[in-house]
Amino acid sequence: MSNPVIEAPPTAPAVTWQEGEQLARRASSRRRAKRLVLLAAGWVAMLLVWNVAAYYLPAGVLPSPLEVLIVMWEIVASGAFAANFFASVGKTFVGFLVAIAVGAPIGYLMGRYTYWRAFFHDGVTVAGTIPALTYAVLSLIIFGISDLGPILSVALVSVPYIAINVAEGVRGVDQSLVKMSQAFGRSPQQIRRDVFIPTLVPYIFAAIRMSFAVAWKVEALTEVFGGTNGVGFQIRSEYQLFNIDGVLAWMCLFIVFMLIIERLVLRQFENRVLAWRPEERVGR
Amino acid sequence: MTATATQRRSSEEQASGTSAWRRRVTSEPAARVTFYITAFLIWVGLAAMFVRVPGPAAVTASLVKEFSRGEVFSNFADTFYRFAVGVFLSVVVGLAIGVIMGMSGLARAFFESPVLVGLSIPAIIWAFLTVMWFGFGDTSPIVTTFLTAVPFVIINVAQGVQGVSRDLRDMSSSYGVPLGRRVKDLILPAVAGYVLAGVRFAVIIGWNGVLLAEWFGGSGGAGFRARYWYDANQFAGFAAWVILFVIVIVVLDQLLFERAARRAFRWRDAGH
Repeated sequence: MSNPVIEAPPTAPAVTWQEGEQLARRASSRRRAKRLVLLAAGWVAMLLVWNVAAYYLPAGVLPSPLEVLIVMWEIVASGAFAANFFASVGKTFVGFLVAIAVGAPIGYLMGRYTYWRAFFHDGVTVAGTIPALTYAVLSLIIFGISDLGPILSVALVSVPYIAINVAEGVRGVDQSLVKMSQAFGRSPQQIRRDVFIPTLVPYIFAAIRMSFAVAWKVEALTEVFGGTNGVGFQIRSEYQLFNIDGVLAWMCLFIVFMLIIERLVLRQFENRVLAWRPEERVGR
Repeated sequence: MTATATQRRSSEEQASGTSAWRRRVTSEPAARVTFYITAFLIWVGLAAMFVRVPGPAAVTASLVKEFSRGEVFSNFADTFYRFAVGVFLSVVVGLAIGVIMGMSGLARAFFESPVLVGLSIPAIIWAFLTVMWFGFGDTSPIVTTFLTAVPFVIINVAQGVQGVSRDLRDMSSSYGVPLGRRVKDLILPAVAGYVLAGVRFAVIIGWNGVLLAEWFGGSGGAGFRARYWYDANQFAGFAAWVILFVIVIVVLDQLLFERAARRAFRWRDAGH
């Protein structure tokens, strides 16, 4: 079987493939290390700017990162953070469920029928551009100072995102797949479960990701205006006492934990649910 | 087997079968009109249900009163000045940082975390901080607008610059195309749409920022005037200002940016 014509060329390549692979691996790890260093440098630079500004500005105007960190620790240690944070998160999620319950049917109608698309189009686009301040104060006017206000404002701000994404998803359903299923005598229920829902789920996750980033800010804003508990309410009380370090400490804690929910919990959940479709799994 | 197939009609027959008024009612413009009527009715219903929600008549009356007092234009003049300066600054700074981030992966790694942090700080925090730092005046709304809007400009510009065709960039560098021409003929057309999207975000986010800062800083402006009515428990006056806020941002967004976006992406969407 050995054919002399297609044997290895007489001159050996400059590097064997093992060496080449090693070189490439070393280069990529060097690049990764450089990236990590720069990522850390970004954080260091931010803290440095903050620190220098705190040093040069008159006392009491801007506390240094360390002072804020101490206040953060006090807030966490006193247990105030956990109570208020869970109150805020709870309201955000309830508002979210309301938004899904309202927004998903609207999105379905919009994706399915041209009449309903025309009907809801203006409302959804306008609702998406209205400043969050409006939602916060309007829900306070409707419900007064209670837990319902933040829930309503979260729902109001999230509905357009969910409706738009669900509509997009419904329109993205592969019609030839639906026709084929019908031709093979699948029941509408089966088609819904095996064709519609799998297509829709990624769009719904996109909607959740987009609107969650906005929703928790609006939730905090509503609490600032008229909450009885929650992180926004605490920020407001610190502001009224003119405690800049208190405002900053609550803000930092809130951002850190919301980013943890956003980046880790929701993304993990999404990856797990979408694990069956490899191309959707690439989480940046 | 009995014949179960009913008489099928072609879509043309179906269309001619429906009466003219029915077709008119189900047309798209009619759907739009129906929506506005429904929304109006919902408003009337809410006003009837909740004592605190002002009805259309009360809101119109206070809107007219605000106009006749001359409050609308003087306050919006203040607000627009602050808003324009803030958005302009955010676009300039956002373009500079965004271009650097898009051009080099290392700069991207460096700026990634600051931009992420900037994106996640709510406008209300900036409003509080700037009011505490700068006191009442023009500075606080301007800085709030700038700080809330700039991260959105940065990420959009960076994404646009990163999306510039690598091949064309390599080619122009190996053929020694001068930097000026490279920017004018390659980078700008590819980036324009993203820049526009960034500016659009900046306008929408910044509008919220400027109103919030005016709400908490007591030196005039549309946000301040809305708060005046809110504090006075005169919700009709507040709702009148809300309507003005919404009209301003919708007009800006739909008339200006929707059109400009279509123009900027013309080269890309032309094939469709």
